[in-house]
Amino acid sequence: MGSQARCLVLALLLLSPALLSKSAAAQTPSAAEIARGKYIFGATGGCGCHTVPKEPVNAGGRKYDGPFGTVYSSNITPDRETGIGSWTDEQIITAIRLGRRSNGERLVPVHPYTVFNGMGAEDLKPLVAFLRTLPAVKRANQPKKITVPMFESVFLPAWLAAFAPRETPPTAVPTSGPARGEYLVRAVGHCGECHTPRTMTMATDNSRFLAGNPKGPEDSEVPNITPDKATGLAWSEEEIADYLGTGNKPDGDVAGGLMGEMIEGTLAGYKDLTKADRLAIARYLKTIPAVKNKIGK
Amino acid sequence: MELRCVRTGVILGSLVALAVVGCATGQTTTITGSGDPVADRQRLMKNNGANWAEIQAKVKAGNAEAVAVNAEALSLHAQRIPSLFPAGSLTEKSKAKPDIWQKWPEFQAAAKNLENRAGTLRDQAVAKDAAAVTATVATFGREACGTCHTPFRVPPPQQQPAPPRS
Repeated sequence: MGSQARCLVLALLLLSPALLSKSAAAQTPSAAEIARGKYIFGATGGCGCHTVPKEPVNAGGRKYDGPFGTVYSSNITPDRETGIGSWTDEQIITAIRLGRRSNGERLVPVHPYTVFNGMGAEDLKPLVAFLRTLPAVKRANQPKKITVPMFESVFLPAWLAAFAPRETPPTAVPTSGPARGEYLVRAVGHCGECHTPRTMTMATDNSRFLAGNPKGPEDSEVPNITPDKATGLAWSEEEIADYLGTGNKPDGDVAGGLMGEMIEGTLAGYKDLTKADRLAIARYLKTIPAVKNKIGK
Repeated sequence: MELRCVRTGVILGSLVALAVVGCATGQTTTITGSGDPVADRQRLMKNNGANWAEIQAKVKAGNAEAVAVNAEALSLHAQRIPSLFPAGSLTEKSKAKPDIWQKWPEFQAAAKNLENRAGTLRDQAVAKDAAAVTATVATFGREACGTCHTPFRVPPPQQQPAPPRS
């Protein structure tokens, strides 16, 4: 072996630990990234649709009845057989945002991918990293029962193309100000899924964004949270921020039902948002158009 | 003299008899409310809401020690909650979910949880431990009220503004 070759081998030997550790670092998310993922997980309300109350977190199986049939939420724990353990990060992000499974199958939009499409990549990657740190639970997904003929092949793609409003991903995740509030409300917190009334086609009617839904999920009447004085949310910014952090309403009542679940979350919820983020949400809610829409008697 | 003794004896005897009758009937009498459990429990919950709003206002005003009386009321009311939800009392006016009767032990446990936590809050206030009161109040809405309201109540659709405070 010539001296040049010896030098090359030596250089490679010296460099290889550095190269290895660099590639390992790229694969292993840092504690800060996982913490950011947990924060985003909380900002979605703890992905609570994927957890049956008091059962293993993210193991799926929660039932949702819709006009097209019945679906059950999926197991999103890192179990390789029944969960998302064998999916790549890109496949998981595609499912969250574009509503496609790793096998190309389309998700039923009970999972609000048209809204989550507005989430930034800087938040989605840590979210996936966090999901991977949770305990794997072996629980097979329950098959959906679709009653509408040709629902997935014809109706759903047509509905998505013609009616469903789709959020646009930001070029960079806003970090402060009303833009931050808008991002948290419209995309991550997916508030409109329950608080925005729906049209005849069951798409959210964003011309009346957050104006309340008399027929919300689980047969609940979901309040109008636009700033309309007579029928909307009359609380101050501070009161809204307090409510999201504590569940306490200004009149002494407390959050309950699905909103109670969102605030409490599973491993994290709205309650874990920083005061700055809760205030950003409150400020944004004061800027949206007031819509007169009385919900309930 | 004899007459006075007889009169005293009669009065004392009557009092004893009244006391015995009173005790006997007292043992079998229970507070049943107005006969309309939905109205009774809504009244009690409104009262709880007023107490809870006052607790928060006192803590915000730096008067944490004064919440003992409100916490005591919440704890006592919690003891009555299960009795205000008799079977078959799910009327149109009620915001209760049928799950209450399907998961009765869980519902009872949630009421007990409120009783215990409100009792803790009262004891902290009596001990003038402002830091402990503030810490308990920070999570009380979610962890004392919310453990029952989230699974067992249909939330009201209209957000009420804060009542005017004098």
